[in-house]
Amino acid sequence: MSQYIFKMPDLGEGTVDAEIVAWHAKPGDQVTEDQIIVEVMTDKAAVEVPAPVSGRVVSVTGAPGEKVAVGSPLIVFELTNGANAADAPAAAPPRPSAPEPSTPQPATLQPAGSQPAAAVTRQGRVMTSPANRRRAHEAGVDLTTVAGSGPGGRIVRSDVEAAIAPSAGLKIAADIGALPLTTEIKVIGLRRLIAERMSEAKRNIPHFAYVEEVDVTELESLRLYLNGSAPKGAGSLSYLPLVVMALIQVLKSYPQCNVLYDAARGVLVRHRAVHVGIATQTPDGLKVPVVRNAQALGLWEIAAEIRRLAERARTNKATREELVGSTITVTSLGKLGGIASTPIINAPEVAIIGLNKAVERPVVHQGGVVVRRIMNLSSSFDHRFVDGYDAAAMIQALKEFLEHPATIFIPTVKSS
Amino acid sequence: MNMIQALNSAMDIMLGRDPAVVLMGEDIGYFGGVFRATDGLQRKYGEHRVLDTPIAEGGIVASAIGMSVNGLRPVAEIQFADYIYPGFDQICSELARIRYRSAGEFFAPVTIRTPCGGGIRGGQTHSQSPEGIFTHVSGIKVVMPSNPYDAKGLLITAIEDDDPVIFFEPKRLYNGPFDGDPNKPAVPWSTHPKGQVDEGYYKVALGKAEIVRSGSQVTIITYGTMVFVAAAAAAAMNIDAEIIDLRSLVPLDVDTIATSVKKTGRCVIAHEATRFSGFGAEILSIVQEECFWDLEAPIQRVTGWDTPYPHAFEWEYFPGQARVTRALKSVLEPA
Repeated sequence: MSQYIFKMPDLGEGTVDAEIVAWHAKPGDQVTEDQIIVEVMTDKAAVEVPAPVSGRVVSVTGAPGEKVAVGSPLIVFELTNGANAADAPAAAPPRPSAPEPSTPQPATLQPAGSQPAAAVTRQGRVMTSPANRRRAHEAGVDLTTVAGSGPGGRIVRSDVEAAIAPSAGLKIAADIGALPLTTEIKVIGLRRLIAERMSEAKRNIPHFAYVEEVDVTELESLRLYLNGSAPKGAGSLSYLPLVVMALIQVLKSYPQCNVLYDAARGVLVRHRAVHVGIATQTPDGLKVPVVRNAQALGLWEIAAEIRRLAERARTNKATREELVGSTITVTSLGKLGGIASTPIINAPEVAIIGLNKAVERPVVHQGGVVVRRIMNLSSSFDHRFVDGYDAAAMIQALKEFLEHPATIFIPTVKSS
Repeated sequence: MNMIQALNSAMDIMLGRDPAVVLMGEDIGYFGGVFRATDGLQRKYGEHRVLDTPIAEGGIVASAIGMSVNGLRPVAEIQFADYIYPGFDQICSELARIRYRSAGEFFAPVTIRTPCGGGIRGGQTHSQSPEGIFTHVSGIKVVMPSNPYDAKGLLITAIEDDDPVIFFEPKRLYNGPFDGDPNKPAVPWSTHPKGQVDEGYYKVALGKAEIVRSGSQVTIITYGTMVFVAAAAAAAMNIDAEIIDLRSLVPLDVDTIATSVKKTGRCVIAHEATRFSGFGAEILSIVQEECFWDLEAPIQRVTGWDTPYPHAFEWEYFPGQARVTRALKSVLEPA
């Protein structure tokens, strides 16, 4: 009889620890390889961790709500036949050792005999070109989770692109449920994460809030026209994709708002790509799924992507990759939008754009009182890095686009 | 014009335009130079403008320095770059530093012309490519044209430059472009667009590389003879290569290099000179510094072997199309 110590795996980019959400096995239980034994929470998604071997659970570390550092012992198994992980008994039904991608992937996903884990984890240094490292970094893809199909297992460009594609994410399970139904609700999991991130953002970032009203009469008529002429099954447009499109135009002139602040290094990282976080209400709380490389998408693609991501976030199907890596966030409460709000910045971003409710109001327009559709934009900026002047100018630029919606779709002319 | 005629034309024009210009070197006057680059110029301008010197390269460089600080604009010929070393101390210790040492009071507008490179069955004493040695010395400019048009324009610019310029002439290109295959019949410059050389005065700027061919798949950075070898190899592989002829190594056109490699993500550097501590290493460092995050594959160098230039097996030594092809294949592997 030998023992096998299973350590908390690195579940993704920069993860230092993970919170135990629920145990599906207790000491004394006999488990088979690949059986889900514990659910843990990384910074935004729940991950089901399968048993790496078959055997009897001797001990487990960490009660629900507790954090366990990556690399520290999580479960001790007693192996039934003294075999090591690589030649574990064949009791478990045969299945691929790699995550099951929904698109075809190169055949050499994982070297034979390696341990099955929640992600394709790699020993040692990632082998790939600097250009691929940049692509992965910009898309928020953790290269240690990408399988290489090139010579010697090297990660080639097509591997990175497959990992960036929204459908090729990790097999991260959905349900963080199974919480006890009592009136006393422990602040753990997603709620704890939201709480921590909110207080951290509010505590550390001097928020500069700016509210401006936007005449969306023309935007509304464009929206109604597009909805009326949309192809079947395209779904109807809200203001959100239109605002995202306009925002991408504006960020070309205000790159200081498409920034992630790396506090540890004291560096502001400007991004060429625009990954737009979409604040989304879900039964579990606020999630911010990310429309990746929004600058490369058209209006209908953005609308479809927002709908798809919101649905996945609401049904707990969003992968970790779909929930991290935004460079700027847009928040909209739709019909509950109110007249003004003070959104909290989704750190380490430096700006968040809030949409308030669009309502018809009497306004003075060209010398007379007319009914116009007005929507306020309530935005917050990290005043350490975005000056009030620039923030205001950025929102004014956004207002210009939204009030003259045709200009959103006209290539910008570089002036000055 | 071929490259010899283009160089002759440049010196003729400058002797005519500027009475301070003098030519000096071994057998350049009465005989007109071993490659005929100064043919007829002594007859035209006299023995005081076109001087035959003793066989003493240290003395040639030293007297050129003395003449230059006293107001002349000497163009010295070192008959082969392989013979430049007796003048090396004068070049490094005096010529390169006159302006610095005198705090700008004196300067040395000396141009040193010297034929370089192999491919002519010249063995170890007539085939060397020592340009990298001089790029390492601060205070001198280093130029190497690859065709008659550039040769004339660059030489006029070099002569007018108030600082020392070492002007390397790839002798295999004197009479025609050369794609690295010695068995092909020689091609004269008259068939090549760069052999169409203006009779009059014109300049080609130092520090400005030329994109000989624009392309998207890989950047080939080269100069001198290897411009044609690299172009022929890329054409035979039917790849879309961007080929950069540096023309001037110091000053170096970093912008053109960096813009190109950022575009293609792949880079091959080719020169005839030996590899270790060669000028290719400097280009490679700059590409790495400027373009690291755009690189799709390791940068490759195609160079001469790290041995003396051989008497025998010249075409095993010379970095011909086969070696360029191998490097191109390696950088174009999927990455």
